Amino acid sequence: MRSIAFERRTNTPKWLRIAVPMFGIAIALVLGAMLLAWTGHATTGTYRQILHRGFTDPGTFATTLVAATPLLFTGLTAAIAYRMGVFNIGGEGQLFIGAMFASFVGLGLGSAPTVVVVASMILAGAVGGSLWASIAAVLRDRFRCNEIITTLMLNYLAGILIQYLIFSSHSYWRELTGTGALFPQGRMLSERAQWPNPHIGGTPVPFGFIVGISFAVLIFVLLRSTRFGYRVRVIADAPAAAKYAGINARRTTFAVLALSGAMAGIGGASDVGDFRHTLDPKGLQQAGYGYTGIVVAALGRLNPIAVVFVAILMGGLNTAGLALQGPDFPAGLVGTLQGLLLFCTLGGEGLARYRIVIRRRAGSASRSAAPRSSSPRSAASPTEAPGLATGEVGG
Amino acid sequence: MNPESIDVLTAGTNLVPAVEMFGITKRFGDVVANDGVNFHACVGEVHALLGENGAGKSTLTNMLTGIYQPDAGEIRLYEKPLRLTSPRAAIAAGVGMVHQHFKLVPTFTVAENVVLGLSAEHRGVKFRRAAIERRVAELSERYQLAVDPAKKIWQLSVGERQRVELLKVLIREARILVLDEPTAVLTPQEADSLFVTLRSMADDGRTVIFISHKLYEVTAVSDRVTVLRDGRNIATVDTADCDQRSLAALMVGRDVQFDRRVGTHVRGDSEPVLIAANVDADGDDDRGALHAISLSLRAGEILGIAGVAGNGQRELGEVLGGIRRIRSGNIDVCGKQQTCGDPVAFAKSRVAYVPEDRLGTGLAPSLSIADNVALRSFRAAPFARPPFIRRRWLRSHTQELMSRYDVKAPGPETPIRKLSGGNIQKVLLAREFESDPLVLVVASPTRGLDVGAIENVRSLLVTAAERGTGIVLISEDLDEVRAMCDRIAVMYEGRIVGIVDGESADVNTLGLMMAGAT
Amino acid sequence: MSINHNLLVEVAVSGMFYGTPLVFASVGEVITERSGVLNLGVEGMMLMGAAAGSWASIHISGSNPWVLFCATIIGAAAAALVALLHAFLVVTLRVNQIVAGLALTIFAGGAGLSSFLANSWNLAAKPAPHQFQELSVFGWKNAPIIGPLLFHHNVMVYFSWIVVGATSWYLFRTRAGLHLRSVGESPHTADAMGLNVARIRYVNTMVGGALAGVGGVYFSLLIVPTWVDGMTQGRGWIALALVIFGFWRPGLAMIGAYLFGAFASLGLTLQARNVHISPDLLDALPYLMTIVVLIIVSNSGARKRLGAPAALGQPFIRDER
Repeated sequence: MRSIAFERRTNTPKWLRIAVPMFGIAIALVLGAMLLAWTGHATTGTYRQILHRGFTDPGTFATTLVAATPLLFTGLTAAIAYRMGVFNIGGEGQLFIGAMFASFVGLGLGSAPTVVVVASMILAGAVGGSLWASIAAVLRDRFRCNEIITTLMLNYLAGILIQYLIFSSHSYWRELTGTGALFPQGRMLSERAQWPNPHIGGTPVPFGFIVGISFAVLIFVLLRSTRFGYRVRVIADAPAAAKYAGINARRTTFAVLALSGAMAGIGGASDVGDFRHTLDPKGLQQAGYGYTGIVVAALGRLNPIAVVFVAILMGGLNTAGLALQGPDFPAGLVGTLQGLLLFCTLGGEGLARYRIVIRRRAGSASRSAAPRSSSPRSAASPTEAPGLATGEVGG
Repeated sequence: MNPESIDVLTAGTNLVPAVEMFGITKRFGDVVANDGVNFHACVGEVHALLGENGAGKSTLTNMLTGIYQPDAGEIRLYEKPLRLTSPRAAIAAGVGMVHQHFKLVPTFTVAENVVLGLSAEHRGVKFRRAAIERRVAELSERYQLAVDPAKKIWQLSVGERQRVELLKVLIREARILVLDEPTAVLTPQEADSLFVTLRSMADDGRTVIFISHKLYEVTAVSDRVTVLRDGRNIATVDTADCDQRSLAALMVGRDVQFDRRVGTHVRGDSEPVLIAANVDADGDDDRGALHAISLSLRAGEILGIAGVAGNGQRELGEVLGGIRRIRSGNIDVCGKQQTCGDPVAFAKSRVAYVPEDRLGTGLAPSLSIADNVALRSFRAAPFARPPFIRRRWLRSHTQELMSRYDVKAPGPETPIRKLSGGNIQKVLLAREFESDPLVLVVASPTRGLDVGAIENVRSLLVTAAERGTGIVLISEDLDEVRAMCDRIAVMYEGRIVGIVDGESADVNTLGLMMAGAT
Repeated sequence: MSINHNLLVEVAVSGMFYGTPLVFASVGEVITERSGVLNLGVEGMMLMGAAAGSWASIHISGSNPWVLFCATIIGAAAAALVALLHAFLVVTLRVNQIVAGLALTIFAGGAGLSSFLANSWNLAAKPAPHQFQELSVFGWKNAPIIGPLLFHHNVMVYFSWIVVGATSWYLFRTRAGLHLRSVGESPHTADAMGLNVARIRYVNTMVGGALAGVGGVYFSLLIVPTWVDGMTQGRGWIALALVIFGFWRPGLAMIGAYLFGAFASLGLTLQARNVHISPDLLDALPYLMTIVVLIIVSNSGARKRLGAPAALGQPFIRDER
């Protein structure tokens, strides 16, 4: 009989840090394939289709970048907040409010020069997102409310709010003429308020994506090299030490939540400016950008630069999911795959912190005082001899 | 401590082996905590396990109680080889442990704690409260361990909690009792009464194994002593055949002398650097923790704060260190009134503070040494060029501090939690000393360190005092305050019950004061 | 009009009707959290329970009670399996409990596995062929006031009462409950006293998951009763808030669940009486109420005395030195 034990590693070897996520992704794909086979779907065929329709088919990469843009922002939203141990799951709602603010500005400034409109929309989105996040920040600060639950409730409330603006009221955002008189829909932005798509290497890149990359770099530097980033690190690691150092944790938490919300808000602005050109409650709610952003941040290990790449990966998955949806490719498959990826990399990280040691057990009954024949001094059977320890497990 | 009060048996009268451990080896990663240790204890004896912090005492006993499994070696109980694979197996084999940090659920009652996890024979689906409380009352009467079985643990004093731990062991009919530094939290008088209890348990045919690093306790209560050093057993001797000096030599492996260095550096005529007047403050639970605390400290003086843990010393340290607010009163540093609860202002007035909780309060455990060096002064030059932290400068500054204070670590980017206890404390002291403080508040600066590190820390403190820093030394270790301090203030229930001269203070007087007698 | 059509009675009755899935889910989470495991994946577990229950009601044949019984068991089992995943991640691999719980929600939630399975099985095509019906216990359904309040519910409501009672007894009156709570309060103590911390946490995380699954079945075979992606509409998160509201006590959590049920159904009740309030406002009410209640509970002094299990969310590592 054998017993399996986990031993804490004293040092994590460098190669493991690369190997573990790779191994996690592989396991996730295998599990996904098993699930596909079990429910009677093609396995490799489905994966091949995802690869084609999400990344390699001509023209799809541009679509993938469009899909990646909001995920990049909501990924940053989650990454910044989780870095400090503030669990903002409100990227979804903050993005809605950002879209609402930005479309308001975009509709109002329709005749101004594009530079002015785009800048104002970005600013408005940031303000909207951080205001919405500030509600949770105030609740956390003043009333010690758990931000996980409040930000989540605020997601539902934000959804209801934008739905009300388009469907149940004659608001500024709603189109009341033309088809709008028949079907509730939002007003379209004027041509000038739509964001440019500069071509880079022949691929049209959404302006929002470029903005997102700039913010990713900025936030990377902010967290790494500034006093603000230093405060965040100390608070995240040891709140008591922060207090001892005279760091105002309340103010920093507030700033982090506001910044986090601002990212989601700009994501909403980009959704309006780059993609939909209108406030579209149903489309936004179905997309679930905020929740996917959590996956993006976790897979990117909360590193703003890594978030950029993971966002592209997830964007591709989403694009393929939308393009392929049908009986062979049921809704929920993409979410399931994302969840599996998340589980497997998380589990891998958990495993990497430990070493699995398998010991051979002499006898099972610990209570029964199993006697052993060998003399006491040479009896060294419960050892971690090289042959018995499996040592490193790749993930 | 009065050894005369205990009837010391001559060891060797009873040689029925109870515990035999052969060639025990245990590693944690690269650290070898036990290296081929042999340990034997007999029925009816009190056997002390003596060694410095880090000598491997707790690791050894944790293998006897099933918490760890040895990597090599064999354990026999009553001459039967056993594999103690879990605490449950150890309990079933008759081993009971009283941990240094009590294993009690604070929100449960005494009775609930006592029956927690009780073995199969006592099991029923339902929890029979009344019957259990009756059984607990019986036992506590028999062994004179007075405690109310219906009370919740958090309502009890530390001494009472220890009695609950003993009751837990007794109700499981343990024949082998292991106590890990049981006196660390007791007043000298409480410790004496514990020793009487332990003796009566041994007389009932139990085996008592008693872990300690305090020599006087060992000579007072044990029949035999096994000395551990660096994970190896050095010797097992009859207590009657040795004295404190010879045991100390065995424990440390060389002669150690902590000189009393008192009085030489106090400038008698100097103005006080720190005055606390009538300070009242709340604890974390918003209840009063400090009441009318008044004290003053002169330059170059070391003022000790003694007391049993939990009598307000931690809160006093936090107030004087600038991180706890006060309700009323005044704190002056060099005649300047301070804003309490503002650590930045205190640091500006050149008050340094070394908290008891090194990893977590004094230092951020996962951050690098360099980041921790910046903790109190990251705001301005030379540490920062706002809004940026000067990372490169910080790294070389840290490197320089590390070599000056002899911190052993791979480099300035090493996370602080990977350092040994002594090196962690050196980083903390180095950072606080670098601010050239007028007042230094240190809480339990040597707790958990080995002898070499203790000497190091104490000499750093003395050096600081000689340079004219006024030091408030908060410690539960009476030997330490007596050796180090010019004056000793004793705290009880949030008040200073008295201040005595460090030179003339004796343990009995201090013990009585710690118990609230004035 | 009889007294049983009194507004208060109607609101109370519909509060119980709509609150019952929250009772199951929040009592389940109370059990899980009492063992020191925070499982934020309630929403995902409920949806898995709903999907599995819906599948069972279509594919199992037999009498109505038999099919519903099986569907409930299968729904509970499916959710317990998802909870097992959480337990493996947080107990065995010591992954951060918050992150693992979020991952669980994303994996199993409205855009994840529950949707994938339900769509693969084509569950949304038709309403569940077997559904729970109201009973008339002792034939007293028309008794004044107590009739609708106590004797005219579906069997799940009665089952939830049994669950609440049994859970209270289990937690506070049995040895197993004592052990469970000790693991949540002080796992190191429990371990030293010979309890198997990991096993207790595994078992109770799965029990909590199973109850969340029953709550999900209530949606797919009772409230809706057909499959809709994400049909629980965030009720799993409200269940988490109710655990805090109920100070980790099953009875109080049930009261909270009924209050929320009442608020959530107020719109329907009022509409039936031709009182017109904006439907959007009514949609928003349960979420607003959750925040308001959270403010009240989090800010009250009571929290300190009746607070969360001390080791909630903390992994237990014996070898940590």
